[in-house]
Amino acid sequence: MKKIDKKVAENYFRARNTAIIIYLIIWFIVSYGVVLLAEPLSNISFMGMPLHYFMGAQGAIVVFIILLFVNAVVSDKIDQRFGIDDKMNETISAGKHLDH
Amino acid sequence: MDAQFLVSFALIVATFGLYIGIAIYNKAKVTSDFYVAGRGVPPVFNGMAIGADWMSAASFIGLAGTVMLLGYDGLAYIMGWTGGYLLLTFLFAPQLRKYGRYTVPEFIGDRYQSNTARLIAAIATIIISFTYSVGQLSGSGVVIGRLLEVNASVGTLIGVVLIAFYSAMGGMKGITWTQVAQYVVLIIAYLIPVIFMAMQLTNNPIPWISYGEIVNEMKAMDQELGITEYVIPFTENTKWQFLALMFTLMAGTAGLPHVIVRFYTVATMKAARWSGAWALLFIGLLYLSAPAYAAFSRFILMDRVAGSSIDNLPAWTRSWVDTGKLSVADKSGDGVLQWSEIVISNDIVVMATPEIANLGILVIGLMAAGAMAAALSTAGGLMIAISAALSHDIYYRSINPHASEKKRLLVGRWSIVIATVVAGLVALNPPGAITQIVAWAFALASGSFFPALLLGVWWKRANGPGVIAGMVVGLSVTLGYIFAAKYGGFTILGIIDTGAGIFGAIAGVVTNLVVSLATKSPSKQVQEEVIDLRYPEQMTYKDGEVWMDDSSHSS
Repeated sequence: MKKIDKKVAENYFRARNTAIIIYLIIWFIVSYGVVLLAEPLSNISFMGMPLHYFMGAQGAIVVFIILLFVNAVVSDKIDQRFGIDDKMNETISAGKHLDH
Repeated sequence: MDAQFLVSFALIVATFGLYIGIAIYNKAKVTSDFYVAGRGVPPVFNGMAIGADWMSAASFIGLAGTVMLLGYDGLAYIMGWTGGYLLLTFLFAPQLRKYGRYTVPEFIGDRYQSNTARLIAAIATIIISFTYSVGQLSGSGVVIGRLLEVNASVGTLIGVVLIAFYSAMGGMKGITWTQVAQYVVLIIAYLIPVIFMAMQLTNNPIPWISYGEIVNEMKAMDQELGITEYVIPFTENTKWQFLALMFTLMAGTAGLPHVIVRFYTVATMKAARWSGAWALLFIGLLYLSAPAYAAFSRFILMDRVAGSSIDNLPAWTRSWVDTGKLSVADKSGDGVLQWSEIVISNDIVVMATPEIANLGILVIGLMAAGAMAAALSTAGGLMIAISAALSHDIYYRSINPHASEKKRLLVGRWSIVIATVVAGLVALNPPGAITQIVAWAFALASGSFFPALLLGVWWKRANGPGVIAGMVVGLSVTLGYIFAAKYGGFTILGIIDTGAGIFGAIAGVVTNLVVSLATKSPSKQVQEEVIDLRYPEQMTYKDGEVWMDDSSHSS
């Protein structure tokens, strides 16, 4: 065990949180935002459908899936930047939980 | 006995045999196998298992029909039931995985240091999962019944025996791998008909790209008929109801115990994040296809069925009229079937597609096997959640903490059998519409678990009295609103009973905040454990400092 500088730990937490806040803002815009503006958006046509319908039936879901994969990749990158070793995580995790 | 019956029967028996074989091969030997599959499931397979766990008979059979009947307003279900995975994966799943317990009530009890909170959460788990599973069992009864040409109640009983057997035997470990197989069966069964339908109607085998032109054509047909256009928003309910329903489904998704527990079965926080991503990809394949089914079916009904002579309807309409799910009465008596004279139940849109598109007996049989896979996999996951709440959270943690491993496995197995049989008996005579019961389960989860988990993970100051008051108030507000809206005609901004979760969630969060601040803060150890959830496994927060475990380098 080695002590890490408080700043480094704080930076890790901040990097993860900033990313999540950005994802959730996008999540909100493509679902709730589009529904709130459904009437004006219905005048725009996209892939044969009015835009509000396209977003509800396809656009929002595709964005959701992309956001989840981006989160997984970016989080791995952040872990790497802070010198986190996933093999170590596995070993530590296996010994830590309450299996009772 | 015709050829169709034999083919469908053979396919169902073959898939059942596969599920039982998998459960026997993966028999649970210790409690960590039974509750969390030994915590070693790879993320991709966990994603498939989550997909099968998640997509119920209602999603498989009913979702496309709901979109077809409601038009744009039905899309609240599509966005709500997918968008919740972002809340779950970003805000809860990795942290709950690091905390490393067996069940959601156990997390709540240990995090908030309160036996009362654990018991309330265990009871909420049982109520939510039970109502949800009643829908699954009666759904599987309908499918088995129609297929084996027996009464739907006999069909339900066959489903009950099967689920009780394989989930009691394999526990979470057996169910996980059974669900992987069930996902593959159900997604193939769902996609084949819609792909063929896309080819027949648009000459393009990729339904997700090609149904836009069908939607466009329907717009013109709607205008010609002078009916409400398919794509016009908020024709069924208000915009606020759409938003409230979408929020309820999202928050409920993030708070459903049988889904959250799947994130306990992987090895690390990283694996939890990847599981969430794979899960939504696999779920998205079905949810992106449902609106395509809806558009194609509505188009065929408008274009090929409506307007034809009443004596000369397509052959497939007859068998569905016989089941009472389709009505084609010529009310005006002019010998021609008008669009307004067609009444269709949302349950038949997917199941009738192979016949509409003339795909032959193999595909019809595959559809039946897929619908069964959807119902059984969800029911299996729910039964594990109920059993864990009974045997682990209530029996082991409260009644008999000294029970041996063997005894606990036995109690776990029997609670699955009993829960399945009781749910099956209720399902013989389901209390009201299935979709409505399912919507209520989501409202209850968003009023109880969503606030408790959100504050438990992200706010170290939240304490035992806060979570108890929060869950009780959240549940009461949700239930109160459901009854007031459904039976009392009371609504706010036109939000009806299915959108009740938003009020429950707000009330739960506010109550937890207020009561926690008014009472003593949690112990230093609990607060440090909450801060510890911010970091990966290798980093530990202790005594006000962050420590990095680098023992591999020194040893």
